[in-house]
Amino acid sequence: MGRERMDSGRGRGGGQGVVKGGGHIERKTSGGKRGFYILLAVLLIIGITALSYMASRPKATVVAVDTTLPPIPNEGHVLGSDTAPVEVVEFADFECPACGSFATLTEPDVRSRLVDKGLIRYRFLDFPLNMHRNTWSAHRAAWCAAEQNKFWEMHDALFQNQDRWNGEATSRPDKPIADLARQLGLNMQQFNSCVAARKYDPQIRANIEQGAKRQVNATPSFLIGNKLVQNAISYDEFKRHVDSALAAARPAAKATKAK
Amino acid sequence: MSRRMLTALVALVGLFVALYLALYKAGVIGTLACGSGACETVQLSRWAVFLGQPVAAWGVAYYALVLALAFAGIQERWAASRGLSLATLAVTAWGVLFTAWLTYLELFVLHAICRWCVGSAVIVMALFLLAFLEWRAAKREPGALKD
Repeated sequence: MGRERMDSGRGRGGGQGVVKGGGHIERKTSGGKRGFYILLAVLLIIGITALSYMASRPKATVVAVDTTLPPIPNEGHVLGSDTAPVEVVEFADFECPACGSFATLTEPDVRSRLVDKGLIRYRFLDFPLNMHRNTWSAHRAAWCAAEQNKFWEMHDALFQNQDRWNGEATSRPDKPIADLARQLGLNMQQFNSCVAARKYDPQIRANIEQGAKRQVNATPSFLIGNKLVQNAISYDEFKRHVDSALAAARPAAKATKAK
Repeated sequence: MSRRMLTALVALVGLFVALYLALYKAGVIGTLACGSGACETVQLSRWAVFLGQPVAAWGVAYYALVLALAFAGIQERWAASRGLSLATLAVTAWGVLFTAWLTYLELFVLHAICRWCVGSAVIVMALFLLAFLEWRAAKREPGALKD
């Protein structure tokens, strides 16, 4: 076998070995090395900049809520203590992917770090959007699960399994949703008759009305203090809004005590 | 520019795509720039987790590995290594198979196409093609090292 010589110095040409006399190989690997490293650096800068921008850009639309509106009635489904200083109201659509994203990725942190620690009370209000053809079935199922004290279990199951029952997966969502209900151990006779009777449609409509009064036009939307925050936000962003609502709530509570 | 250099550049692009999806999965990026809800449908499905880790995280590891192999191949020490060409071919072939399975799930199980996943699939195919050409050239090279 002939002797081999690898040339990785600067030169022209690609990286393919060329056989020279006597079986020697001269590999011209470095012709484009400078260009390669320049391109690599450019790509790195573009990539890091783009990712930093995506991670730091404001992810939500925040609008002030009309404070003259009557407060949200004690409706919907609630997690947390009645004495929590701040109530967060979520308007959500079970078939909306962004709601699914928030419920799956961020809400576990919200529950363990804010609700369980008594900082906030979390209220879920239905806001099914017309664009989602199976969403009403899911909202009815959640209410019928609530009748058996399993709203939050059904809430989590619906969001975690959106791809089984949403409009892209099926035109008959009742069966996969009933499967979820069965897995949760619900009384199926009671559940099925509740869903078939559309027993809680008036409550769902009432919740939509509460959202409409507050200019909710996208899901998920969060009412945090006097702000309406729209979009699936990260935990850090959610916490920032809660902190600001907590800061506003404390002087108000002190003033009330002083009276 | 050599094929291994091109492989490194393409793998770097793939690495950023996978990082973007992994950061989304970690809750750092609010919503995906997708144009439709299909990306969330795919990313939040039960198929978006493989062996206990998000598929996007496996993607980051995969592209980092291909990038590392391509970088090694650019170094003088391994410039003529057939073994390295074969390893890159094996890794990228595995990537193609895994991507084919994910694409099947998108088309026939989830009925949702995530544009970022399509982008990643194109990158995976390109990496395999480059690895195949490199491996074929290394095989034909009569004086190449046998490792």
